[in-house]
Amino acid sequence: MEPLLRAHGLTKRFGPGCPACLESTGAEAGSNRCPHCGTVWACRDVSFVLHREEALGIVGESGSGKSTLVRMLHFDWDSTSGFLEAARIPALAEALPDLYPDGSPWSRNLLALDRFRQRKARDAGMGIVYQHPQLGLRMGVSSGGNIAERLLSAGWRSIGAMRARSASLLERTEIPVSRMDEPPRNFSGGMQQRVQIAKALSGDPPLLLLDEVTTGLDLSVQARVLDLVRALREELKLSMLVVSHDLGVINLLCQRTMVMKNGQVVEAGLTDQILQDPQHGYTQLLVASQLQ
Amino acid sequence: MRARDWATGDVPHSKTFAFLDEGAKKDVRRALLKAVAIPGYQVPYGSREMPLARGWGTGGIQVTLSMLLPEDVVKVIDQGCDGSVNAVNIKKFYGRVGGVGITTDTALATVVQTRHRIPEERMRADQVLVLQVPCPEALREVEPSEAQTRRMHGEADYARMWLHLYEDVVTFGEIRISYRYPCTVNGRFIMDPSPIPRWDVPKLHMADTLFLFGAGRERRIYAVPPHTRVEPLEFDDHRFAVEDFAGKACARCGARDTFLDEVLRPDGTHQFFCSDTGHCDKRMR
Repeated sequence: MEPLLRAHGLTKRFGPGCPACLESTGAEAGSNRCPHCGTVWACRDVSFVLHREEALGIVGESGSGKSTLVRMLHFDWDSTSGFLEAARIPALAEALPDLYPDGSPWSRNLLALDRFRQRKARDAGMGIVYQHPQLGLRMGVSSGGNIAERLLSAGWRSIGAMRARSASLLERTEIPVSRMDEPPRNFSGGMQQRVQIAKALSGDPPLLLLDEVTTGLDLSVQARVLDLVRALREELKLSMLVVSHDLGVINLLCQRTMVMKNGQVVEAGLTDQILQDPQHGYTQLLVASQLQ
Repeated sequence: MRARDWATGDVPHSKTFAFLDEGAKKDVRRALLKAVAIPGYQVPYGSREMPLARGWGTGGIQVTLSMLLPEDVVKVIDQGCDGSVNAVNIKKFYGRVGGVGITTDTALATVVQTRHRIPEERMRADQVLVLQVPCPEALREVEPSEAQTRRMHGEADYARMWLHLYEDVVTFGEIRISYRYPCTVNGRFIMDPSPIPRWDVPKLHMADTLFLFGAGRERRIYAVPPHTRVEPLEFDDHRFAVEDFAGKACARCGARDTFLDEVLRPDGTHQFFCSDTGHCDKRMR
């Protein structure tokens, strides 16, 4: 399998940090907040490689740093330190010609780019679906407009072309095209989530970030959304990073999984292996807590 | 200096030439230089108190005062009209504090200060047009936070402005902005061209004249230097268009190629007149 993205030492810290932080926080210490200086280590030293057409799951309880990780990858939040490099992707190389130093297969550190370039990289390389549709969608703007926003950001200037693209994406995500000019606030939670997926896919990105996409939806709607995500992954050959606290979702979508606790990765491996033979105490607890 | 003296004209001279003290002029001129160097970028400056309420042209007045020379000839217009109260007062003020010449003829003026219009007559390279600006932030329509709009300008993150136009087209079939039409300056910043009608927007593009924009209340100065691209936001399949006055002509001078004001007469009929009164007068002579 070819790698698509590699991250090394991703860290997000809120606070000044102190010499005692290192041993006072993390999974061993059972907290991500340093008792000496009050610094919160939301995400500490996370490294991984994501391959093409692979879905990597991230599980952990709330406060374990999953969403922080996704926000750093999507450039919503600045990271305190760390490297994020993308393999050579035609769309990315086209949007940012200076991203790859002389023929190198790996890009420069995406986290060190300025915000303008990060936005270009985001428009060309990834889409995101948040847990709350309010985060990813403008509730007062038409659904078609929500999808068009990404396209406008990427430099599309033809309304006809954007509407055609929005219509085909909405059709693909099972939203009636006749409701394209309605704002998402008119829609049910499941429909809003599908509009978000359509928006995330608008730029034809190789990478999709899913942050707790099914949390808060009822079971039958969850199943439909997950079905859709699975079908899209096959069809569009997407790589995905799936964040969830629900092991069922991870089991359904992901080949590999990382388990996070208190900002650190405590276990990583094949999903089947982690679910059937968890090594770390916390993972064992997580698997045992699953409702059967 | 008592307020009454300004009204009666008893004050022969202000302490410094052109009212503003030298420190204030320096501040405004520095802002002007930066504004010209970065077309379309809003430069903050310390807007001074003027003998006129903020929002009545104090930004334009400060820009004009800070570059006025005794030999200048000034024209001031308000919505195209040389004779409106606001324009007349500002003109008199310039005459009193700067001793400059006053004209209503665009061709004779060295500096033209205006609110909401650009003169019909094409302006020359040796002239300057100063525009009074109420709301300098073009993105305010889509983003209420100043911190956010500054970030958006800094990163050229204009998708939301474009989305605003997209929604207009989808909802109403056309872009509904009739004045303050947002423009991209020099391929970089989106700029508010002040509340000029769409008719005047093409005059900013690749002009011979220097355009200076002053917002007194919002404390911003920006500029369009001569021969700079000023492109109204438009889509490939929904082009920017100026107002359509086809079949209409000025009831006074008969002009068919000017921006017209519609006037409702007491008997219920409509008439159209040139909005630029100086131009209309010139054609009548």
